[in-house]
Amino acid sequence: MPEIIAIIKDALPYLLSGGLITAGIVTGAMALGLILGLSMAVGRVYGSTAVKRVIGIYVWFFQGVPILVLLFLFYFGVFNYMGLNLSAVSAVTVVLGMTTAAYQANIFRGAILSLPQGQFKAASTLGMSDIQTILAIILPQALRLSIPAWSNEFSIVLKDSALAFVLGAPEIMARAKFVASRTYQHLPIYIVAGLIYFILTWAGVRALARLEKTVRIPGYSNKGI
Amino acid sequence: MFKKNLIVWFGIMALLLTGGGQALAGKKIVNGIDANFPPFAFIDQKGTPSGFDVEAMNWIAKEMGYEVEHKAYDWDGIITSLLTKKIDMVASGMSITPDRLEKVAFTSPYWKIKQVMVIKKDSALTLDDLLKGNKTVGVQQGTSEAKWLKEAAEKNGWNLQLRYYDSSPLAVEDILNGRIAAAAMDDAPAKDASDKKDVKILGTFGMASEDFGYAVRKEDAQLLKDMNEGLKRLMASDYWKELVKKYDLK
Amino acid sequence: MTRQDTILRVENITKSFNGNPILRGVDLTLRKGEIKILVGPSGGGKSTFLQCLNCLISPDSGQFWLEERPVDIFSKKELYRYRQQVGMIFQDFNLFDHLTAMDNVTLALRKVKKMDKKAALARAIVELSQVGLEDKTRLYPAELSGGQKQRVAIARALAMDPKVLLLDEPTSALDPDLTGEVIDVIRNLAKKGMTMVMATHQISLIRTLADEILFMEAGVVVEKGSPKTLLVPGTRSQGFCDKLNSLSGEGI
Repeated sequence: MPEIIAIIKDALPYLLSGGLITAGIVTGAMALGLILGLSMAVGRVYGSTAVKRVIGIYVWFFQGVPILVLLFLFYFGVFNYMGLNLSAVSAVTVVLGMTTAAYQANIFRGAILSLPQGQFKAASTLGMSDIQTILAIILPQALRLSIPAWSNEFSIVLKDSALAFVLGAPEIMARAKFVASRTYQHLPIYIVAGLIYFILTWAGVRALARLEKTVRIPGYSNKGI
Repeated sequence: MFKKNLIVWFGIMALLLTGGGQALAGKKIVNGIDANFPPFAFIDQKGTPSGFDVEAMNWIAKEMGYEVEHKAYDWDGIITSLLTKKIDMVASGMSITPDRLEKVAFTSPYWKIKQVMVIKKDSALTLDDLLKGNKTVGVQQGTSEAKWLKEAAEKNGWNLQLRYYDSSPLAVEDILNGRIAAAAMDDAPAKDASDKKDVKILGTFGMASEDFGYAVRKEDAQLLKDMNEGLKRLMASDYWKELVKKYDLK
Repeated sequence: MTRQDTILRVENITKSFNGNPILRGVDLTLRKGEIKILVGPSGGGKSTFLQCLNCLISPDSGQFWLEERPVDIFSKKELYRYRQQVGMIFQDFNLFDHLTAMDNVTLALRKVKKMDKKAALARAIVELSQVGLEDKTRLYPAELSGGQKQRVAIARALAMDPKVLLLDEPTSALDPDLTGEVIDVIRNLAKKGMTMVMATHQISLIRTLADEILFMEAGVVVEKGSPKTLLVPGTRSQGFCDKLNSLSGEGI
């Protein structure tokens, strides 16, 4: 037992800095997902039929193919074909980002649709253009409504990031494996890894809950979502 | 006295800093390793790549004017990583096989390896039991022994189940868990495992011994030449003997 | 009755939804300061017509003239400019829920009229004071009563200096005790000479404010005329108002 504790103590800094890489991957992926997902949601609600169809295909594809398959497909296939030389960490971030964008598109779309149509009409009657209305009226409210579901998606992406190790990205999972291979102490090491993931998830979810409280509009209750 | 030490210290620093500059002028290559393959390649306590092949490569790189970076990859896809230029070579306990020769170029062999079966320390199983007694044997995905066992089992009509793992240490875990009866792997990692856990080496199982070589892309002729030269020098040096002793290879 | 007085004119507005004709050719001429009130049964097309007047709903056909100049409603630029001059009040208020009363009013001033923050703020305070809400400017819509919300909506619309104000059942969503404050504001507007087209069931407004009543049913204007001529026994309008009377308990 004391030898296990010594092994864990030794490996802890190494695993924790893997946590930093995981945090980086997740932050990058969620950010990419936010920008792409929000744009797609707006396109799906307000866009032309052609736009809606294209977005629909994107969402259908990225929701339908397992992330593991996507990682290999893009890292060894698509990116090479395009001549992009992305590191494992970047590749994982991009692929996870594109996947979460599909799910986030649905989250934001639901939030936008749950808003009463009348506000859009009112903005139009005041002479505001569609884009102005979307930016000033729809999105501020839709984003607030989306925070709980987005927090959910964040915890999912965090866990999915563990798949990064198949591409050799040196995040928590990969590092846990390396330590376990050297020390043959799989169980204790994986427990520690699990704890690190748990703490990261918990911290993120808490932060988002705080955000929700900060931007809450007095008297405004969550309609629908 | 103190001043003298200070001067010496400054001198060393200056040397190190300028010496560092020189190394950076070398060519950069990335060595892809299976970091779950002690003692040939693994990640040490401080988190840096280490192992017999890693240290050998570090020596060769310095000797031949290269700057090498070791990166861990999934063994199963490591040749693809080499071919798609994510890495420039594989110095990580890779056996030279006809299959692999079709895709990549190898240096001359630098180590001979036997494949052995590993079983629980207190197990009384024999090789016959394993091959014909409807037992489950673990292997690392993408290894030559995995391929050999599959083909030999079919050819000879052996009665065994193969289970694939992403690394030998994981297979060893499952031996201890009782999920599998044995695991097939190279003799060096087998020894590493038997030193650290309650398993023992049963012995070879009929597969011909193999040679390890460094793999590079077929078109990188200059790199291959340099690696071969480097290996030749390394194997003739004292450092080679040091490494063999350090990693307990025989 | 000089033509220069005509603020808004539309001709032959038609609209069908899914093959169902909702508006079957409606004309309207509005002169400065006139108040025209649309009455009639639900589904008759009043709300659709109002929303066609400022093109929230694109009519299938029809022509528009603002101050005697034709408006091309298919040009986005012309449409946005047209809408700035034709304000609208909705039955459900449609305030921007994430903004304070003040910001509800300043938003369009800043984004559409490109006013700077200070000027917009000053104008907003003026408008909100005029509807009696100067002490509620920092509250959010969720913190306001129905009547207060509608008054904010009116302030918001008026801040744009529209030439015409369209009102789609402005009091229908209000509790009876709150309609009074909104009716007062509307009366004030009328007194100041605001040109309005209103759809309403509010008897008092119909009788006292209308310069002309238009009775709409099944997508066409069935009757029209001043209250004096129309609200006599025998007309459809009178019949309709009688029904409203018996429902609301108000006497004519």
